[in-house]
Amino acid sequence: MTSWKEQLGDQIPEPLAGEVDLFEGQIELKKQGKLDDKIFAETRLRRGVYGQRYDNGLRDDGTGQKPLAFPCGDLTKGPETVWDAPGMMRIKIPFGKLTADQLDVLSELAEENSDSILHVTTRQDIQLHFIHIEEAPDMMRRLAAVGITTREACGNSVRNVTACEYAGVCTTQAFDVTPYANAITQYLLGHPDVQDFGRKFKIAFSGCEDNPCGLVTFHDLGAVAQVRDGKRGFRVVVGGGLGAVPVQAKVLAEFCPEEELLPLAQAVSRVFARLGEKQSRARARIKFLVQKVGIDEFKRLVAEEREGLRPDERWTAFLDDLHSTDETPIREPGAIPSDATAAFQKWAKHNLKPQAQEGYYTAILKLPLGDFTSTQGRALAELAREYTGDAMRCTVEQNLAFRWLSGADAVAFYERLQALKMAEAGAGTITDMTSCPGTDTCKLGISASRGVTGELRKRLSVVQDQLDPAVQALRMKASGCFNSCGQHHAADIGFTGVSRQVGGRKVPHFNVVLGGQWTENAKSYGLVVGAVPSKNIPKAVELITTHYLANREGEESFHAFIARVGKKEFRKVLAPIQKPPSYEEDPSYYSDWGDPRVYGIGDIGIGECAGEIVPFVEFGLQEAEQQLHDAQDALEAGTAGAAAKGGFTAMVTAAKALVRHLEVQVKDDADDVVNNFKTHLYDTEVFHDPFAKGKFANYLLKMHGDKSYENANDETAHRTLDEAQLFLEAVHACYQRLTEAAAAAAAE
Amino acid sequence: MQATKFQVKVYTKAGDIELEKLVPVFHEWIRAKKIPDELLIDVADYAHVPQGPGVVLIGHQSDYYLDVADDRPGLLYSRKRGFVGDFQAGIDDTFRRALLACKILEEESDLDFEFETGELLFRVQDRLNAPNADATYEAYEPALRQATSTFFGDSASFERLGGPREPFAVRIRTGVNASVDESLVRA
Repeated sequence: MTSWKEQLGDQIPEPLAGEVDLFEGQIELKKQGKLDDKIFAETRLRRGVYGQRYDNGLRDDGTGQKPLAFPCGDLTKGPETVWDAPGMMRIKIPFGKLTADQLDVLSELAEENSDSILHVTTRQDIQLHFIHIEEAPDMMRRLAAVGITTREACGNSVRNVTACEYAGVCTTQAFDVTPYANAITQYLLGHPDVQDFGRKFKIAFSGCEDNPCGLVTFHDLGAVAQVRDGKRGFRVVVGGGLGAVPVQAKVLAEFCPEEELLPLAQAVSRVFARLGEKQSRARARIKFLVQKVGIDEFKRLVAEEREGLRPDERWTAFLDDLHSTDETPIREPGAIPSDATAAFQKWAKHNLKPQAQEGYYTAILKLPLGDFTSTQGRALAELAREYTGDAMRCTVEQNLAFRWLSGADAVAFYERLQALKMAEAGAGTITDMTSCPGTDTCKLGISASRGVTGELRKRLSVVQDQLDPAVQALRMKASGCFNSCGQHHAADIGFTGVSRQVGGRKVPHFNVVLGGQWTENAKSYGLVVGAVPSKNIPKAVELITTHYLANREGEESFHAFIARVGKKEFRKVLAPIQKPPSYEEDPSYYSDWGDPRVYGIGDIGIGECAGEIVPFVEFGLQEAEQQLHDAQDALEAGTAGAAAKGGFTAMVTAAKALVRHLEVQVKDDADDVVNNFKTHLYDTEVFHDPFAKGKFANYLLKMHGDKSYENANDETAHRTLDEAQLFLEAVHACYQRLTEAAAAAAAE
Repeated sequence: MQATKFQVKVYTKAGDIELEKLVPVFHEWIRAKKIPDELLIDVADYAHVPQGPGVVLIGHQSDYYLDVADDRPGLLYSRKRGFVGDFQAGIDDTFRRALLACKILEEESDLDFEFETGELLFRVQDRLNAPNADATYEAYEPALRQATSTFFGDSASFERLGGPREPFAVRIRTGVNASVDESLVRA
């Protein structure tokens, strides 16, 4: 038996070959107990080898949490991460560009090392799940042999650099951003200046201002192509991000000449590495640094850093050959046959987009939940070889784009897709939803984002042809938790997973987020309207869209409609479905979509003690929710000061309810509430959860300390409300933990 | 040769199955430890992917798919690691575990599944040690013949499938259509 290392030999380029050898050596050292857990964890993360749900060796089977008896015993691959537990490999695909040979190898790995599924992420990566860590080095070798690295796909590093899937073929671009995205990828990969970040760093490119593909506004560093006086450059933004508190990026440079792009990125990286938060992960993204020092001071720091940089020929070397990333079509251009079938035309309406180059089109393959099989992957590689060449791109909407399809081949291409069952129409419409992995595989998932998305897809696919075009055009996105990997803030209708305690039991819910803007590079983010039980989300979509169609003015867009009528009106629309039936009436509400297990910890008893306390604390939480809703209305009404103050008041009310739940006497004034909250819930770490620790409590403590809710502007008020929303979710979660603990104690 | 990532697929009699029904069944297999010598970990639901892996019961040593590839549903047993024994024992064990899983599924009252053994699919997900080539077929054919003889008698015929990019695969026509129970008893 030979090995992949021998088999592939010098097909694996240096330094990738050496890097994989080193990682394999580190695996051996860890097995021998010669490497620290935390160091090994960060090492593997920086190699793209990520954790997955249940990797702490525990799993709730619906009747309680049970140990998974992995044969590795005490061996771990990081803190509380069992060696043998399956993990995920995130494979960086810079700007989503894939060749046929790469797709072949990815497909091979999916079936040999994973479960035959390739998953496209919202950042143009490909993820494989259920991987054993000891198989990772050979997977990396096979990827490296076709020019792919997983280096810095995870961990505190520069993640996959993303760009519009239409870059180079787009009709509205200023110019093709591909060579710039490629240059920054190569330059920063493994660069010493990006090795000491406190958190991850995401870069995105967009070819134009108005279209959404690049989504630069929610990236740590974003670059939008511009031409001024015939010279190429970029409007560069910094400090954007989704996550728990979404922030719009600020303009760092209105026009950065092309030759200054790499040194500017390097200078930003050095400032972030030097001044970014390192102790508290919750505030370690660059957006917090930009907020802390202010954009003007940040600009000054970057300019100062730039002045001191030692010149590097790579800053401009790539400009000598900007065509190195060009794609060459393999077929002659042509027109789409005029006698194409109705089925083809239906597919072409949303899935085929004319390129800037006459006679060529980009075809979008709409992937269900971003998934495709290894068999389909191989067939797609063949399609690329036959029709388009190496011109595929993963998209941020979890689809695959085939560029350079001749119009003359479009029907034949479509028929081949039909045979593969991959000719689903409606790309970029309401049925083309985005979802993070959620509770399916993610350690942080609260609700089943893929489950609810799958259910919505199923239901909407049946009726999509009958939907009003204004509803067809809506975008829906779901995240399983507040970390927002599903990018729900930028959707017309977004969902983020939360849980609620009802009658002593947990019920999976989603916060409904309305009013996000996908266009203009995700120009604005939505706000939470309210939490709806997971099982009522399809009904929520029906109510929201029906209300929109019945009450819009003329051809008013959904976004404009939300802006006009406000979220308060939608709270009334959703109110009838926000309360789940009791468990006895309908137990299905107490499981999530696609997962029959009792949601959460199923062995919680309903003790008398909990039964008495529940209504009291829930009353306080409901009051806080109402105050937050009123604050959101105030923001919509343009009174930022009242909105921010209302958000803070909601936090205090929720904190008070929780403090009283501990049977601590507390007055109504904010100082007393916050002091008692700090003493009894924060200092004791009772409020802390395993992942976010005290992050959300700090929102309250900081706001109480610096009174930032006073004199708020629109942006800071928006942020205050986001933080208040997260704090309330954390109060709900803490209350649930306390209830469970009380119930467990009562049972004993 | 060593035992490696062998797979066997046993097709259902019905060509159309409701994959959603498998999700609670596989969750229950984990809870009840239905396969005593396997560590079962999670259920992955890919019912939304046409002609895909269907619903997968993820284990540490093996995965169990209710796979709908090629629009032909069947139980696909997939060995991943940890087999102790020689090459022939590994192949025999793969057939045995696939058939055992089918038997348990047939016993699930919520499913009403029935499997047939007239045609099976054998695959090896290991391109390093078992590329889809004539030489691999020559090396595997005697072991496959012995395994099929053990479970289904001596009438089996084999056909190598697919091209060089695909995993090594053999279509097996057993020449009998015994029930999974009869096949297990025979062995």
